[in-house]
Amino acid sequence: MGVRAAIRALFGHDRVGGLTRAPAPMAAAAITLLFLLAALLAPWLAPHDPFDPATLFLADAFLPPRWAEGGDARFLLGTDDQGRCLLSSILLGMRISLLVGIASVLVSAVIGTVLGVSAGYIGGIYETLVMRAADVQLTIPGILVALTLSGIARTALPRELVEAAAIWVLILAIGISGWPHYARVTRGVALVEKSKDYVAAARVIGVHPLRIMFKHLLPNVIGPVLVLATIGLAVAIIAESTLSFLGVGAPPTSPSLGTLIRNGNDYLFSGEWWIAFFPSLALVTLVLAVNLLGDWLRDTLNPKLR
Amino acid sequence: MSALPLVEARGLEKRFALATPWLDRILAHRPRRFVHAVAGVDLSIARGRTLALVGESGCGKSTVGRLLVGLLAPSAGLIRFDGRDFDARAGRRALAPLRRRMQMIFQDPYASLNPRWRVRDIIAEPLDAFALTRSRRERMERVAELLLQVGLTPADAEKYPHQFSGGQRQRISIARALASRPDFLVCDEPTSALDVSVQAQILNLMMDLQEKFRLTYLFISHNLAVVRLIADEVAVMYAGRILECAPSSLLFARPLHPYTRLLLDTVPDIDRRHRSRSPLAGEVPSPIDPPPGCAFHPRCPWAFARCRSERPELRAAEGAYVACHGLEEGRIPV
Repeated sequence: MGVRAAIRALFGHDRVGGLTRAPAPMAAAAITLLFLLAALLAPWLAPHDPFDPATLFLADAFLPPRWAEGGDARFLLGTDDQGRCLLSSILLGMRISLLVGIASVLVSAVIGTVLGVSAGYIGGIYETLVMRAADVQLTIPGILVALTLSGIARTALPRELVEAAAIWVLILAIGISGWPHYARVTRGVALVEKSKDYVAAARVIGVHPLRIMFKHLLPNVIGPVLVLATIGLAVAIIAESTLSFLGVGAPPTSPSLGTLIRNGNDYLFSGEWWIAFFPSLALVTLVLAVNLLGDWLRDTLNPKLR
Repeated sequence: MSALPLVEARGLEKRFALATPWLDRILAHRPRRFVHAVAGVDLSIARGRTLALVGESGCGKSTVGRLLVGLLAPSAGLIRFDGRDFDARAGRRALAPLRRRMQMIFQDPYASLNPRWRVRDIIAEPLDAFALTRSRRERMERVAELLLQVGLTPADAEKYPHQFSGGQRQRISIARALASRPDFLVCDEPTSALDVSVQAQILNLMMDLQEKFRLTYLFISHNLAVVRLIADEVAVMYAGRILECAPSSLLFARPLHPYTRLLLDTVPDIDRRHRSRSPLAGEVPSPIDPPPGCAFHPRCPWAFARCRSERPELRAAEGAYVACHGLEEGRIPV
């Protein structure tokens, strides 16, 4: 099955093929792909291992980028306060950022879709409870929800586990903070589809409600959820960076882009600008590319906007 | 209404609660309000026969169809199928043996087939649900057989619904309804979304299948020409009740109830182009606040005092069943 056929099976049409005719989304897609590949291959691409204390020398600390005055040929983007290669840190940090971003989007999408589709199909008190819970959560900023959840987990977990579980806590906290968006959209789709006669035909036969939700409603939900997930990925990466910047995210032993920016923030005013600047640049580029891609996907899949 | 009906309904009622916001109701001290979509319907259909349910939009005819196949649970009354009680609130397992024997064909052939499913999976849905085939091969063979029965080809099984025309889609819908070898089909305006030329083909197919499999139909329609062609008996519905029920030939030759007369009068007739017509004025009464007495009295040219206060019951008259005070008292010429 070709790519086009797969896309058609997924969305009911293959307008995604228009990507090649739109330069900005094309560039965004290319950059996203590049970042994904870089993150995936980071351990092999990185010129140094910034987490091996044996290769770190304090004499290399605070080296500016290679092209600046006093730069060192070994460190393209310079080093941080511990003498760690910044380029390697960014590549490995992006891995953490993307891992947390993608995993938390998955958590949001699964929770939101399950609750949204079931609320739309079942209706009644259950629907009211689910959708009001979503409304209540939406009144609280997502980052506050994630901050609270990760704070609770830190106090609840035994001390020795906190660092090991930090990434998982982060994924769950960001994931749970994002489900209402998915629930709202998928409930809407489920409401529209459930009133169609093919669902009535299945009910006349006595098909189990779970099977109706999975086989009849879920396929209609995949398109919109994919769009939300792409836009949500950018939000999740920023949320992760914010939490890490605030010190409740990725631990310093496995730093994400946010951790790197926080670290560099301490030296911003003493002249070592590159420690905060390059991780920030990577973050902004990645988020912008993912966002553009998501916007384009939303417009393409929404026939009303064309 | 002959002996040994396959499908029987007694005192069937369906109320829908109006969705007034709960808080508004509490503040305004108003009780919950209901729409009386079906307000006491009795009917019975003999095996192998076709009962047509006709009426204007909103008269409750589709709701009756949905009640009979268990898509909705009745608010009151009971449904008997082949001598056994059919209660839509019973468990899924308990209902399965009866559900296998009743199916439904829908109006919109574009909404009644899941656009993401292949035709073979659409038609095999009842086969899978009732575990009627034992192997993949048997399933494929049954689907091919069904496609041939409705005038399509076995190769169509691999296609998607959007590759078919409206009439062909309705054939697929019929094939799905036949898959579990049912006895009873509720056909909810199966031809009204189709072109006239295609309508005739679908109706012919339905009549052929009825003869071949001894099917029993409840045929819901507002198209009197179609009803005249396919129905053995006709029940005229108005505001949730049956006003007249008669053998088809009798009803079209000599309508009794004033509403039926007006309804038949609105059918265009090419031989009587210059006849004077009395147009049916007014609207169907609101099912939220139905008028007291006979629901039709605000529009009835023969209405008198009793019609405004007392609801007429369905009574045998002249070989038919009619609910009309005027006819009973002989005020309306037959």
